[in-house]
Amino acid sequence: MHSFSELVVGDVFVAPFVVYAVAALAIFFALRPILRLCGFDKLFSNPAVAQLSLYVAILGLLTVAF
Amino acid sequence: MTTATIPRPLSFAGAPPSAWAFGVRIWVAVVAALAASFWLELEAPASAAVTVAILAVPTRGGALDKARFRLAATIIGVTAAIVIVALFSQTRDLMLAVFAAWVGLCVCAAGLLDGNHAYAAVLSGYTVALIAIQQLDAPEHVFESGMARGAAIAVGVAAIAVVNDLLAAPDSFPQLASQLAALHRRVRDYAKPVLRDEATDAGTAAGLLRDIAALRPEIASLATESASGSIRRAAARSTAVALVAAVHAARALKAVVAATNPAMDDMIAASAHSPASAWASRESLRRISEVREGLAALNAGHRPLCVWRMPLYRSRAIAAAAGLRAAACLVLASGFFVLAGWPSAEVSLSLVALVIGLGAVSPNPQGFTVAAFIAAPIAAVLAGTLEFLILDGVTEFPLLALALAPFVIGAMVAATRPHPMVASLGRLNLIFILVILSPSNPQSYNANSFLFVVLFLCTGIGLLLAAETLIPPESNERRQSWIMASVRRDFELVLSKRDRRLAPEEAMFRDAARIGQIPASGASHRDSAVLAQALSYFDRAAAIRLGRDSVARLAETSLSHLAAEAEEALATQDTQRLRDVSLALMHVAGAGSALAEEISGELTLAAIVIDAARHAASPAMEAVS
Repeated sequence: MHSFSELVVGDVFVAPFVVYAVAALAIFFALRPILRLCGFDKLFSNPAVAQLSLYVAILGLLTVAF
Repeated sequence: MTTATIPRPLSFAGAPPSAWAFGVRIWVAVVAALAASFWLELEAPASAAVTVAILAVPTRGGALDKARFRLAATIIGVTAAIVIVALFSQTRDLMLAVFAAWVGLCVCAAGLLDGNHAYAAVLSGYTVALIAIQQLDAPEHVFESGMARGAAIAVGVAAIAVVNDLLAAPDSFPQLASQLAALHRRVRDYAKPVLRDEATDAGTAAGLLRDIAALRPEIASLATESASGSIRRAAARSTAVALVAAVHAARALKAVVAATNPAMDDMIAASAHSPASAWASRESLRRISEVREGLAALNAGHRPLCVWRMPLYRSRAIAAAAGLRAAACLVLASGFFVLAGWPSAEVSLSLVALVIGLGAVSPNPQGFTVAAFIAAPIAAVLAGTLEFLILDGVTEFPLLALALAPFVIGAMVAATRPHPMVASLGRLNLIFILVILSPSNPQSYNANSFLFVVLFLCTGIGLLLAAETLIPPESNERRQSWIMASVRRDFELVLSKRDRRLAPEEAMFRDAARIGQIPASGASHRDSAVLAQALSYFDRAAAIRLGRDSVARLAETSLSHLAAEAEEALATQDTQRLRDVSLALMHVAGAGSALAEEISGELTLAAIVIDAARHAASPAMEAVS
């Protein structure tokens, strides 16, 4: 059974999903220079949806892996 | 005979399809934000919907950038609220005074920034009102209230980001590229040899510089739009800076033509007669080609050849005055509510702070308060119709979503209209409707609380309007004198070689941004004179910086003594000496040296521009004094 650990900041419980969402956002922004070098925007007809899908994929991977 | 018909642009009820698409996107985002907030059982679901209304920007990049600053500013505001409540919760009057000082400080900071940075500054101010002041009687709930607001804002931000991505909201850069291209055409038209009187010429140049500098916030928001956003931002920055340099080059060319032969109005003929004219024409063409390269890089998403920054100019005196005025207005409003002793007046006070904050980042704060004063009763009628006539006790979410559609879409279509008052009313109406309706799960449909909120909203804005009338803003003349004092101070720094932080083109952009902030319609004689004087300083400072940059290349050569002499001549604005150095340079280096020819041309051009600018400034100075 996969257990989600809560982040506790000074007696304040932060939902695990918030931690995953923020971590996924940080990874996504760290990947952006690499995406630019790969010409990510030119690979898709709608780069905005492609970027959103990438973010969701990272978030899903983090949730499954940790 | 053949006739050509121009197809009429597609429109529905007087608005283009893009405006309707924008309205639909915002409606979907409001519904998604409310659905997520209800599902997550957030304490302040209305804040999520209001967040979407505030982040309602037609382009994807603009909304994302604003969202980023909204999140950061909420964190700062909540922290400030907790600190203020922790220190002053036992002394209500002192707490209100500190709150007014904090809002004043934030408005002052907004005056020193632009675009979404300024918005973040005022948001940090009025977040304290929404958290600390609304919990004035229950300070122990400040932390929970802050968390609830933060969560609702995060949901609102996520809703608008996802909806904009999925419903293909347009990118900012094509629109920005077309705006820059339109400015490029205007700069080329300005550079054409057309006879204008000095006042018209100053008005046209100042208008161009103002419009170029006004694009700075939009350019800054390009970075968040896509993976190549930061490169496009660099390209757009370079294009804007090159446009300002092109305006200066066009003015220099005009000065040279006027100096070589005042009767002659043909620049090509002039360039054949004078090496300075030839050099000025070449410079003008070089700047125009830099603009073209920047535009091509922006459209293609390539890094530009020249990477320039866009330094911001803001008058500290004007910002401080705006901050003091905001604090004074808030003190007056707080004093009124304390003396009146009304229950729940803190809601009204927090709305006053909100309108002060949003007004501070609008181009016309007084006009914004008037628009809010008109929008509040309209929004009250619309929200009442929605709550008590259309919904009237409904508890199903799909019906709420459907009922919101005409109000949200209509308000957003109005917000895209070109008339500034209609646009402000549209935007404010959506925010006020959501604040008054305050969707919750389950909806209370309490007529008593509806009337209280409407009363507080209208009283608060009415009171603010009265306070702003009692404490009028500084006159245009005063603001002009503050900006002109800063122009003169900076020019002294240019002469004393203490402004070496920026490249000449970047410094030109900063000067252009300052000219853009001079409050002048150009209609009165005084306004024209102030603009002419500011442009005279702009031309001289640019010529001196470019001249210095040019002679710096001689520093390590055998002609370094001439470089030092040219530096001195530039510092004292001794134009005759500059011409002598220019001739000496050509004489010593010989006719074959391209570098010497180039620097000699630059120095002669600087001398002509300085003379022309002094000549233009002298009648202007008399008019201003």
